[in-house]
Amino acid sequence: MNSIILLEVAGNVAEKSAEMAEKDPHGLIITLVSVSVVFIALIILYFAYTLIGKAVNGKISMKSSEKSSRNASSYKPSDEEAAAIAMALDHELNGETYAAIGMALHQYLNDTVHDNESYIITIKRKNR
Amino acid sequence: MQTVIESLEQFLQYTGFANMTWQHIVMIAIGIAFITVAIKKDWEPLLLVPIGFGIIIGNIPFHQGLQIGIYEEGSVMNILYQGVQQGWYPPLIFLGIGAMTDFSSLISQPRLLLIGAAAQIGIFGAYMAAAHLGFTPAESGAIGIIGGADGPTAIFLSSKLAPHLMGAIAVSAYSYMALVPVIQRPIMLMMTTRKERTIRMKTPRLVSQKEKIIFPIVGFILTALIVPSGMPLLGMLFFGNLLKESGVTKRLAETARGPLIDVVTILIGVTVGCSTQADVFLTATSIKIFALGLFSFVVATFCGVGFAKIMNLFCKEGNKINPLIGNAGVSAVPDAARVSQNVGREFDKNNHLLMHAMAPNVAGVIGSAVAAGILLSFLG
Repeated sequence: MNSIILLEVAGNVAEKSAEMAEKDPHGLIITLVSVSVVFIALIILYFAYTLIGKAVNGKISMKSSEKSSRNASSYKPSDEEAAAIAMALDHELNGETYAAIGMALHQYLNDTVHDNESYIITIKRKNR
Repeated sequence: MQTVIESLEQFLQYTGFANMTWQHIVMIAIGIAFITVAIKKDWEPLLLVPIGFGIIIGNIPFHQGLQIGIYEEGSVMNILYQGVQQGWYPPLIFLGIGAMTDFSSLISQPRLLLIGAAAQIGIFGAYMAAAHLGFTPAESGAIGIIGGADGPTAIFLSSKLAPHLMGAIAVSAYSYMALVPVIQRPIMLMMTTRKERTIRMKTPRLVSQKEKIIFPIVGFILTALIVPSGMPLLGMLFFGNLLKESGVTKRLAETARGPLIDVVTILIGVTVGCSTQADVFLTATSIKIFALGLFSFVVATFCGVGFAKIMNLFCKEGNKINPLIGNAGVSAVPDAARVSQNVGREFDKNNHLLMHAMAPNVAGVIGSAVAAGILLSFLG
């Protein structure tokens, strides 16, 4: 039963492929159409997410832009962002890396573990 | 005594040593090379180790009819291989990817979706090149998808369009994904000026939980309505993300991004490796597929970086895009984004591009699934 279905599918593919080879031997038409569809799909997503972002969370975006213009260092990345930054820097062994990881971990753990603290981080450059 | 000698002779004929050809030795060497590169260089070890070992398993010569080979119906390897042949494994991997991916950077900067779209041109560039080299349209589509830099999508599409080429396509896709830092860096440097490489992008805005929950639902409905044939991949990707972001299905999300994706990765890696038996793999066609795969990666990187530069022509000062994130439009997550980060830091130590590069990177995952859906609807 399984092999019958597989053979049928293979037959369909061969048929469509042969048809396409005849109509569009260089693949130009399929390329143009496909690239356009990919772009259209993602442009629609772009508009959808832009609108949703404005509709659902207008306040947050306004607050954050105000915040960032007031003081860039007050931006607090999400937990995942902090963890991702730390992971990306993981392989590069220098003092700044440790500082960045320390900062990311600090912000990551900030909400869950620590009480209110001074937020002053001392960075000591490490010579290796 | 005679019987003992005859039995021994018969046994010896059944051993792998007696049936070994130079092709088997080459394939076993390739398998060992994969494992070595994965361990020594840490290049995609989660994939290259299972694939490398699978190549070794698949190239131990044996007598047909013992029901042990991957192409022998009913054998253990054949049953495990069904997940690849019938395309079950790739959507399950997409479920795990969705459950482990944070789409915040994309939600906060939706314009970067377009870079993910531009990088998919690599797929269709390779499609045209393959058609030019004499491959059928179905084979060309399966080969072109290597440019999406997405192993599961490549396996999914090739299982539908050109199952006979799947081994070479999968190995090619995963090999180039492992080589992303080597392939992309020179293209990125060639296409950008020193000034462009030091562009600092605006800090993305905060994304609310509500947006994160709406994202997979709207994303799936829109993309699946446009390209229904991409539904298995897109559905699982967005569903996995909903499990992650809903906040009430933590256990399911953890299973999807943990044990489930690990199990499927092991099975897909070993069986794809195993399917590369010397007699079906070591052919001129495979060499062409590898060449086309490399070509598609180059075109994808070129288009991603180029499109970011084009977008900059329309962006106001202070809102410019660092074109070094253009390479991340291919969907090798998160390796391509790491390349953006590392190359960016070579020119400005304090410019961290990772967060920004993740946006085109995850857009690339969506884009390649959409592209696979389109090719499937045309050719499948």
